[in-house]
Amino acid sequence: MSFLSIQKLDKRYGTTSIFTGIDCEIARGEFVTLLGPSGCGKSTLLRCIAGLTDVSGGRILVDGQDIVPLPPQKRGIGMVFQSYALFPNMTAAQNVAFGLRMQKVGKTESDKRVVDALAMVELGEFAARYPSQLSGGQCQRVALARSLVTRPRLLLLDEPLSALDARIRKLLREQIRGIQQELGLTTIFVTHDQEEALTMSDRIFLMNAGQIVQSGDAETLYTAPVDAFAAGFIGNYNLLDACVAEALLRRTMTCRIAIRPEAIGFGGDIDAQIKGHSLLGNVIRYRVEARGVELVVDVLNRSAADLHATGTLVGLSIDDSAIREVA
Amino acid sequence: MSTKPAALYHRIVVWALFAMLLLPLLGTFLYSISTSWSATVLPDGLTLKWYIQLWTEPRFLNAFLQSILVCVGALLLATVLILPLLFVVHYHFPKLDGLMNVLILLPFAVPPVVSSVGLLQLYGSGPLAMTGTPWILVGCYFTIALPFMYRAITNNLLAINIRDLMDAAHLLGASTWKAALLVILPNLRKGLVVSLLLSFSFLFAEFVFANLLVGTRYETLQVYLNNMRNSSGHFSSALVISYFFFVLMFTWIANRLNRDRG
Ligand SMILES: Nc1ncnc2c1ncn2[C@@H]1O[C@H](COP(=O)(O)OP(=O)(O)O)[C@@H](O)[C@H]1O
Ligand SMILES: [Mg+2]
Repeated sequence: MSFLSIQKLDKRYGTTSIFTGIDCEIARGEFVTLLGPSGCGKSTLLRCIAGLTDVSGGRILVDGQDIVPLPPQKRGIGMVFQSYALFPNMTAAQNVAFGLRMQKVGKTESDKRVVDALAMVELGEFAARYPSQLSGGQCQRVALARSLVTRPRLLLLDEPLSALDARIRKLLREQIRGIQQELGLTTIFVTHDQEEALTMSDRIFLMNAGQIVQSGDAETLYTAPVDAFAAGFIGNYNLLDACVAEALLRRTMTCRIAIRPEAIGFGGDIDAQIKGHSLLGNVIRYRVEARGVELVVDVLNRSAADLHATGTLVGLSIDDSAIREVA
Repeated sequence: MSTKPAALYHRIVVWALFAMLLLPLLGTFLYSISTSWSATVLPDGLTLKWYIQLWTEPRFLNAFLQSILVCVGALLLATVLILPLLFVVHYHFPKLDGLMNVLILLPFAVPPVVSSVGLLQLYGSGPLAMTGTPWILVGCYFTIALPFMYRAITNNLLAINIRDLMDAAHLLGASTWKAALLVILPNLRKGLVVSLLLSFSFLFAEFVFANLLVGTRYETLQVYLNNMRNSSGHFSSALVISYFFFVLMFTWIANRLNRDRG
């Protein structure tokens, strides 16, 4: 039986429905990501689970117990916010101690647990600093320590890394995942960043417009998108309507197809012309026109000598097994 | 390259302004400690007798105390009312903030001379008859302090993310009451202290309402000053300087208190 079970969850604001009939099952100790574009209802779903907003219908079971009637204080859920939500009038240590203070944990034990929690996020020496004296990444680690020190049964993270710069984001990603695995903590991580979702999660729930469109591990989501939205949102797929695909592949097509940009290679019999390129670090992304169809092609950036200049005529090959039909 | 002359220019402007503001005060001060000063460039002699006379005058001491009482009363009332109000508006009904901003300006929109007539009508008779008592002054001063305090504390509230802070506190086990007290309130201290200070100095100097609503029945400092306008100018100067130093000291102490901790 799953640890967290969301059944037929509805949420409306007045007459606007944010989502209806959300179902999902999460196992104990699992790290799942809610991935979706901004405004699709990720935060609202998380706030429903945390009890920060009322649900309009449905059940949320944790360990078999329906938590919908419980106030947020009684749910045993920890949460980390994009804005950090650190209490500005308290030091890092006081922030972390706040939950224990509310639970009336004794001073000696509280002090020890605060020290441990700050050590876990490697901020031991910053205990006496106020949030205004910490960097964004440090703030978010304090917030993480604060949400973990009360030993929640479920950890919710709402775009915790979105306000941070790329390098810190990568470091923190690993740190969060490491701590989660060490504690075996059931975790829901919300993001709109596909790379974050693909690298961190045991399982990904892809959301769009209040619906869970697809769920599965990173491999499945990346290689087998169920529909055009999934294909467009993950992995920069080339999405081609049936008639366009027919022109490109010169065979009959019955529905829309998706081709990953790295499944197209240079050196084949499809005539094409380079329209431009951009450098994405170890990958070069070309815009190419082949048989009147615009395509995106990713190739490894081996050496500058291999670079195809704009206007160059090339041949393309498309791996047949990489062509996916999508609804 | 242009920083040096610019800095000099800025400094001159600041000092000129400072001198302009300080000069009358200096003159008044000098006048208040001179035996007599009329036909000569400098006073004839120096004395503290005006101050001694002032500070042993029971009517002055009484007016001074009554001014403090009325101001403190009004500010207490304002604080007790405005903190919960602000919390409710910003946490539960953020859309009401626009309406509040309009309401808050009303005391400014109506000139004191007009609104005091209205207040006299309203409170002159019936169940709310309190004309001539200090209570009407407390009530009136409260409405004057309200806009200052509302704006200053709102600025503090906007600097923190009240919803996320409340949510975080709730999830960590705090009741709404505790969260407001432990997490939100301490962050409003600066705005609260600054606006209390500003309102206090302002109300302490208020004359129109005090004179029209209560007058000599409950003499405040400014009303007393007005009633004393025909006495010796040296005496009035001593009064003004005493009053100035009181407000200055008060401001300084409050500033010090406010500076400690984050
Ligand atoms: N308090 C609210 N009242 C009305 N609509 C809301 C409220 N909060 C969020 N919404 C709407 O719900 C939708 C989903 O919002 P949200 O869950 O924040 O999206 P996400 O976190 O995926 O970006 C948005 O269209 C938003 O406008
Ligand atoms: Mg969101």
